[in-house]
Amino acid sequence: MFVLPPPPRYPTGYPGAPGSGPLIETNNTLTHPTGPEHQLVVGEGTYLLREDLHLATPPPHPSEAPIHNPNPLATTLSPPSSGTKLSLVVLAPRQPSYARLYKLETTNSTRSQVPPSIQESPHETNSQTSDAGSHSANGVAPSPLEGLQAPAFGEGNPMLSVINGKDAKDPLKRRKPKSNIIKSNSSFVSRVIPHEALSKRLQEHNPNGLFAFANVNRALQWLDFSSPTKEEHMTKVLFTKAHALCHDINQITKGPNHIDLVLGFSTGDIIWYEPMSQKYARMNKNGVINGSAVSDIRWLPNSEHLFLASHMDGSLIVYDKEKEDALFVAEDQAPATELAPEEKEQKPSLTIKKSVNSKNQKTNPVSYWKTSNSKINAFAFSPDGRHFAVVSEDGSFRVIDFLKEQLLHVYTSYYGGMLCVCWSPDGRYIVTGGQDDLVSIWSLEDSMLVARCQGHNSWVTAVAFDPWRCDERNYRIGSVGEDCRLLLWDFSVGMLHRPRAASVRQRGSVTSATLKMQRSRTEGSTTRLRSNSNLTSGSVVDEEEVVHAVEPRARTAMLPPVMAKSVDEHPLCWLGFEEDCIITSCNNGHIRTWDRPKEGAGSDDDTPSTTSVSASAGASNA
Amino acid sequence: MTSFFGRFKPGTNPASPASNSPAAKKDPNAPQPTPLEKLLADAGPIRGDGSDKFFGFENFGSTCYCNSIIQCLYYSVPFREQVINFPFRSPPEALERPADSALPRINTDLLPISNGQNSALSPKGRNSLSSPTAASPRKPVITPGATTNPQGVKPEDNKDSPEYKKKQAIAAGPVLTMDYENSKAYGMSESLFASLKDIFEAVIANASRIGVVSPTRFLEILRRENEMFRTPMHQDAHEFLNLLLNEVVENVEQFSKQRVKEIGDADSNGLIVNSGAVVPDQKSTVSSHNTGWVHELFEGTLTSETRCLTCENTSQRDEAFLDLSVDLDQHSSVTSCLRKFSEEEMLCERNKFHCDNCGGLQEAEKRMKIKRLPKILALHLKRFKYTEDLQRLQKLFHRVVYPYYLRLFNTTDDAEDPDRLYELYAVVVHIGGGPYHGHYVSIIKTQDRGWLLFDDEMVEPVDKAYVRNFFGGENVLACAYVLFYQETTYEAMQKEQEAEGLAAEHATELNQEPIVASPHKQNGTANGHAGHAGHPSHPLQHATTPLTEPDEQWASLNHAATAPLPSHEQNGLGHIVTSIPILSAKKSNIQSRHEKAEKAKEEKERKAAEKELEKQAKHKRKEMETQRRENYRKQEEQLRAALAASRATATEEQKLRREAPPAEVEIDRQVDKVKERENGLGKGGGLSRFRHSSMSLRHKPKFWPGGKDKHDEVKEAEHEMPATPGMETDGTPSGTPDKPEKSKNRFSLGRKKSTFHL
Repeated sequence: MFVLPPPPRYPTGYPGAPGSGPLIETNNTLTHPTGPEHQLVVGEGTYLLREDLHLATPPPHPSEAPIHNPNPLATTLSPPSSGTKLSLVVLAPRQPSYARLYKLETTNSTRSQVPPSIQESPHETNSQTSDAGSHSANGVAPSPLEGLQAPAFGEGNPMLSVINGKDAKDPLKRRKPKSNIIKSNSSFVSRVIPHEALSKRLQEHNPNGLFAFANVNRALQWLDFSSPTKEEHMTKVLFTKAHALCHDINQITKGPNHIDLVLGFSTGDIIWYEPMSQKYARMNKNGVINGSAVSDIRWLPNSEHLFLASHMDGSLIVYDKEKEDALFVAEDQAPATELAPEEKEQKPSLTIKKSVNSKNQKTNPVSYWKTSNSKINAFAFSPDGRHFAVVSEDGSFRVIDFLKEQLLHVYTSYYGGMLCVCWSPDGRYIVTGGQDDLVSIWSLEDSMLVARCQGHNSWVTAVAFDPWRCDERNYRIGSVGEDCRLLLWDFSVGMLHRPRAASVRQRGSVTSATLKMQRSRTEGSTTRLRSNSNLTSGSVVDEEEVVHAVEPRARTAMLPPVMAKSVDEHPLCWLGFEEDCIITSCNNGHIRTWDRPKEGAGSDDDTPSTTSVSASAGASNA
Repeated sequence: MTSFFGRFKPGTNPASPASNSPAAKKDPNAPQPTPLEKLLADAGPIRGDGSDKFFGFENFGSTCYCNSIIQCLYYSVPFREQVINFPFRSPPEALERPADSALPRINTDLLPISNGQNSALSPKGRNSLSSPTAASPRKPVITPGATTNPQGVKPEDNKDSPEYKKKQAIAAGPVLTMDYENSKAYGMSESLFASLKDIFEAVIANASRIGVVSPTRFLEILRRENEMFRTPMHQDAHEFLNLLLNEVVENVEQFSKQRVKEIGDADSNGLIVNSGAVVPDQKSTVSSHNTGWVHELFEGTLTSETRCLTCENTSQRDEAFLDLSVDLDQHSSVTSCLRKFSEEEMLCERNKFHCDNCGGLQEAEKRMKIKRLPKILALHLKRFKYTEDLQRLQKLFHRVVYPYYLRLFNTTDDAEDPDRLYELYAVVVHIGGGPYHGHYVSIIKTQDRGWLLFDDEMVEPVDKAYVRNFFGGENVLACAYVLFYQETTYEAMQKEQEAEGLAAEHATELNQEPIVASPHKQNGTANGHAGHAGHPSHPLQHATTPLTEPDEQWASLNHAATAPLPSHEQNGLGHIVTSIPILSAKKSNIQSRHEKAEKAKEEKERKAAEKELEKQAKHKRKEMETQRRENYRKQEEQLRAALAASRATATEEQKLRREAPPAEVEIDRQVDKVKERENGLGKGGGLSRFRHSSMSLRHKPKFWPGGKDKHDEVKEAEHEMPATPGMETDGTPSGTPDKPEKSKNRFSLGRKKSTFHL
C-alpha cells in the first residue's frame, strides 16, 4: 500500500521554500553581492553586479488561504504563474540614446535612419523605422514621425476612427481610468499601499531615471530604480486572488504625470492602471470576453489606447482601454462554424473571430483572432509596427501581419514549446527561445531559420536584443533560462548567411513524407487571403512558404555563446537591456542589475566583440 | 456481428459498472462514479487490443516499483502488442480451456461474446474471483490498508485520500488475482515474461474496463529468481525495469527454440485455431530474428570513442543499451542531461584506459554518443546519488525539466534519423525523501484517454499539465525518476496538439466528432493499425470508442467458442511470428490521423495512397512470412529431438497440475527446470549477448577494466560471468539449484548496482 514517506530530509544548502512564503508582509531588500561570481566577463569588458533587489513575496490573501494538501500527488493544478517580470519606463523622451542605437560612429551613419534593406527587399517586413520598438523594455520612445509611416491599426474602419478623433481633441490631457484603486471596494483588488512620501518622491524623480513595474506573486510593485532608496516601493498593489502575469507600459502616452500600464491576470482579467493618479479600469471582467489567463500583453505600436493580449487558449485579442466589455460572440463566423473541422486542418490560417474592420466597435474586443488552440506563451511586435511574432506551447512560432490580419509564416521549434520571442532592433531577425534549450534566430527576409544557439542547460525563458551592441551587421542577443544562467550571443550577418547555401530551397522536414504533408496542407490554406484587407497584398511572401517544416540539425548552423554565467540561484524569467546595465529577474523575485563595463563605452563600441565574425562587405543582404 | 454488438453495448454503460449493479453492494459510501468512471462513461464497446483498459495494480507492501513499471510497459502500444502476440495471441486457446480444464485460466469473465449473455457491464465482471486458487482468501493475506498502511484506518476515512480511493478500487473490483500462470498454454516455461503476458491477457480479456490486478504470481517469480527483490523493502523502479526487460529478452530468446515445435503444429492443424489473432496483419514485419522485439523497441546503440592521449589512437566500440541513466544537475533539463552524458570525459588516474596500440594504461579522452536511436527511450534520472560524507545514497531533489517532445542532440554523425522526434508517454515518479523508502507512481499518456495517474490500485485521469508537477525542486518530494519517450512523428504531434486544444476548447460539443469523422470502415479493410499506433493520437479526453472498432470485432470473435472463424487473408501466417513492424509507427500514425480526420478531401487522397502502401506491404509481408516459415521448418527438424523430450515433460506437467493445482508452484518450477536442462542446453553464453545494462557514462570506466576494450561485447559478458554465480548461491526459497542462466540476471544487476552507487 501507499507507504507514506517519512518526514523529508531536505538537502542542505537550499534557500527557503518558494511555496511557503512568509506569512507577514515583508519589505523588499537590497543587497550588493560582490566577488568574481558576480561578474560577467565578455569581450567588451566586465559587467559587475550592481545590486540585487529582492522583492518581498506577499503572503496569501486571508480569504484565499492556501489549501495545504499533504498529498504530493494532489491533482489540483496550481494557477499559471510567470515569476517576476518587469516593465521599464523612462518618462523623459530619450532621444540621445536613440542616436546611439546603432553605433553610428562605426559605419555609415545614415543607416539607422534609412535602412538599406528597405530598398533591397521587396518584403515589407523590413523595418521602415529602425527604432528599438515602442514596447521594448529599454523604454526608448519611438519618434512619433516614424510611427506615422506604418498605418494605424484599423485605419480603414470609420467606426474606430471616431474614437480616435475623440482622443485627438485634447492630446495633451491624457484620459485616465475611472475608478480610484485605493478607494476601490472591488473584491479583485485587495489592498493598495502607496509609499508614505509618494508625492515627494515623484517630485524628486529624475525624468531620465528609470521606473519599473514588477509583479511578484499577487502583488504589483512600482519601483523607482533611480532613487537612492530603490528598495522602497512607490506603490504596491495587492490583488486578492489573481496574479498579474504580464504588463506593459504605453511609451506613447507616458509623461511626467501619466503612465498607462496594462496588466494581464491569471484569471483572464485585464487592468488598465494609471499609477500617478491611482486610477484603474478593469476589462474582460470575470472572463466575459475570454476566460483563460493572459499570458502576454502589449500596447499596439503607436497606439494610445489599443493593446493586444494573448490568452492561454490561443486567442489574440485587441482591447481598447476605454471601452466597456460586452459578451463576445464570434463574428464573421458564417463559414467558420460550419467548417469547424476543416478549419482545424488548415492550421496555417489565422481564425478571425472579430475583425478590426467589424462595424461593431462600441465595445471590446476591437478584434479577436485565434492562432491555434494551444497556449500562447509570448508575442512581440516588430519595430516597424506592422507585424507581430507569436510563440506557443505547441512549439509553433507565427509571424502575423496584424494590419492586414494575415498570417505570414508558421515555423516550428526543434522540439517542445516556445517560450519567448523578440525582434532585432532593425526588424530583420526574430529570436525565439524554448523548451529545446535553444535560442533560435530566424530571418524574416529569407524566411528561414538561420542559426540555433546552443548553450543553455535548460529551457530558455526570455530573449532580448541589446540595442546598444547592435549595428547593421552585428547583433548582440541575451537570453536567460530555467538554468539560472544568462547567456550572451554575438552573431553577424556574414556568419548567419553561411548555412544558406546548404538549404535554400530544399529545406525540408525531417522526413520527406513530412515535407509532402506540409506542402499539401499549405496549398489548401494559403488561399485564405482576406478580401476585406484594406491594404495591397502584393508584397506578401511567397504563399507556398507559409508553413515551414522543422529544419534538421545537420543543416543548421550552431552558434556558441560568447558568455554564459549563472546569475541567480533561481530560474530566471526576464531579461532587459538598458543603456548602462543589464537587468535580470528570477521566479522568486530577485531583480539583479549588472553594470556595463566602465572603461570608455565608446571605444568599446568601435571594436566588435571578439567572437563575432567580422562581416563581409555587402553581406547585409545577399 | 458488429452491428449486433453495436446495438447491444452502447445501451448499457460498460464503463461504470460500479455505478450500476454492484452499487447496492457498496452503496453507502460510494454511489458516485469515480473520475475514471466518469471519463469512461461514454465509452463504446471494449476493444480487443487492451488500449482502453485501465486497471490498477494491487500493492503487496512496497511493490509499487513493480506496479508503476508494469503500467508504463502496458501502455506502450508496441510493447503490449508484442507481449500479447508473442508467441501468439492467446484468446484462441483461451477457448480451449473448457476442454483442458486442468489449466488454470484467466480467472475472470471473458468478454461476453457471441453468446451475448453478459453485457460488458455484467456485474459478474466485477468482484469475481473465479480462479481455482482464488478460492483462498485473498483479502486477509494482502489487505492493502491493513498491512502496510501505517496510518491505520484514518487516512482512508478521507474520501479524497489515495488510501480511500485505493480501498474503493479494490472493493469495486473486478480484482484479477493473477496467482496462476498460463505459461504452458503459451508453450513457454514459467518466466517473468509469461507471467507478464498472463497479466496483460487477463486485463485485456476482462469484461470490465477498470479494475485491479493482483500480480501475485508475477511477484512470486520475480522474488524467487532475484533475491534483491525478495525483501519487503523499497526497491528501485529503474533497476526493476532493467531487470524485467532483460528477463523478457531472455525468456523470449529461450522460447524461440521451443517455438519451432509450435510452428510445426500450426502448420498441420494450428492454422485455424490461430487465425483469430486479433491483430492479424500486425506481426508480419520481418526482423532478422523475430524474438528481438524487445531490442527493437528499447535497444539503442551507443558508440564510445576513446582517444588515447599518448598515441592519439582512437578506438571505437559500440554498445547496446536498453535505457539511459543520466546524471542530474540542479536546474537543468533532460536535454542538457543527455548532452552532458555525451560530453568528453577524461580517463585518468584510477580510471586510466588500457590502450591496445601503445600498450598499458594511458590517459585518454572518451565520449559516448548515440548511434542507433531506440524506438522507446527509457531515461533514468539518477536521483539517488552516493554521498561520500554520509556514506549512503541520497536523493537529489534537483529541478530537472522535461519537455513533452524531445529530440536527441547527442547522436553520432552517421546516426540514422538523428532528428527523430520523441514524445513523452510515461513518467515514473518517486515520492519520498530518500532512496530507501517512498513510493512510486506512474503518469501515463493513454491512447485516447489522455494522461492518467496510476497509483497502485487507483487510476485517475489527470490534466496534461499535471505531468509537469514532477520536475522536482526544493521541497518537492515527488519527482520524476524514469521518463519514457517513444518515437513519434511531426504530424502525429501536430495532430495531437491540435486535438488537445480542441478538446480543451469545446470538450462537450466536439465529443462525438471523432466518431463521425473516423473512417473506420477503411480501417477495417486496411486492417486495423488503429490499435497499434506507436503514438496514439488520443487527446480527446472524452473520445467515445468508435462503435465499429474493427479490433473489437476480432476480439469478440476470438472469444466466441461457436463463432465462425473470421476469414482473414493473414490467417495463419500473421500470428505465428511476431515481431515489430518496422513501419508500424509511421503507418499507424497516418492511421491515427484518419481516426480524427477532419478534412475529407485530404483524407481520400491519403487513403488511396495508404491502401496502395498497405497492399504492397502486405505482399511483402507475405513473402517474408513464407520465407521465414521455411526457415523455421528447417530449424524444427534440427531441434525436433530435443523438443520431443520437452513435449513429454509438458504433458507430464499438465498431469501434475491437474492432480495438485495448489502445489503448482513447486511442481511447475521443477518441471521447468527439468525442461530447461533438457532442451535449454544450447543457450548459455549466447544469451548473455542480449543482456544489456543501462548505460551511464560516469561508471563506464569501471566496467572496462584495463585491456577490456575489445570492441566485443560477448567477450565482456563472458568475462564477467564467472564472477556472478557466487552471488547466486543463497538460493531460491524452494531450494532448487540455480541454473546458470539465472546468473545472467546478476550480471545485469551487478552492473546496474555499481551504476547505482556512483
